[in-house]
Amino acid sequence: MFRNIQLNGNIANAVKGCTEVVATTSTKAPFAGKSPKQVLPTKPIFLTNYNLQSTLLSKKALTPVTTTQVRLVHTDFKVPDYTAYRRDSVKNPSASNRDTFEKRNAFTYMVLGTAVTGTMFCAKAVVHKFVLSMAPAADVLALASIEVNLNEIPEGKNATIKWRGKPLFVRHRTSAEIQIEQNTSLSELRDPEDDSVRVQKPEWLVIIGVCTHLGCVPIANAGEWGGYYCPCHGSHYDAAGRIRKGPAPSNMEVPPYKFIDDNTLLVG
Amino acid sequence: MSIVNVLYKTVLKRPSRFFVVVAVTSLFFERTVDIGIESLYDRINRGKQWKDISSKYE
Repeated sequence: MFRNIQLNGNIANAVKGCTEVVATTSTKAPFAGKSPKQVLPTKPIFLTNYNLQSTLLSKKALTPVTTTQVRLVHTDFKVPDYTAYRRDSVKNPSASNRDTFEKRNAFTYMVLGTAVTGTMFCAKAVVHKFVLSMAPAADVLALASIEVNLNEIPEGKNATIKWRGKPLFVRHRTSAEIQIEQNTSLSELRDPEDDSVRVQKPEWLVIIGVCTHLGCVPIANAGEWGGYYCPCHGSHYDAAGRIRKGPAPSNMEVPPYKFIDDNTLLVG
Repeated sequence: MSIVNVLYKTVLKRPSRFFVVVAVTSLFFERTVDIGIESLYDRINRGKQWKDISSKYE
């Protein structure tokens, strides 16, 4: 810009005495004279300890601006009477608490005790119902046990009864069979069990008639030991239901049973 | 010493005794409720239940 002025002879004459060079694009007037006073934004008042002390505790702040009503006499309103709600033992203001607290506490605790008793009663009923819901249904229970009339089974015969979907063998053993089974030594047996463990009464053998090999139903009074013989794979059982020969691994199962009287057997 | 004071000192004061007594009481309470409801049921259904008519058939 200055170079332009120098090159242009006419302008150079006009600006010769000028102390400042002003840009031609500027819209502002060239600086002349005293500048006006600039107004800055006022400083914010920070609520510091110092500031608050200087403002709140100043004489101006402590001077009351408005008058407030001050009531010094309190006799004009009535204290509510709660006598109707109080227990008899605390109506007398001069009575000692030590003399009366037992009765009051006893009353409270008795009310609590009654409530807890009722709650326990209800809770026990709920728990009982819930536990009973896990028990088997009545129709299942009815089929779970079976009564056998032992008079109908002659000596030396084997009765087959359906019990819980399985054949149940009830065998009326002869005295010869009993003698043989009781004298069998355990060393001969594949699954050593004494005869007295398998029967409650020596005359009656109660077993589940399922071969322990693959679940066939053995034939009674057959096989080399005269007890049971499984036709499927040739397992021989003796008259105590013990495995003696063949592929079966163990003795036939003895279900839970008991004799109700001399002639009735309850299985299950 | 009234009965209430004795009751307070023996039973209610200690929570252990209190809850034992409550448990025992609830057993008797349950039995009472059971018997009461049962007798009420029998009174309402008098003459309809098997135990009322079994004498005719046995």
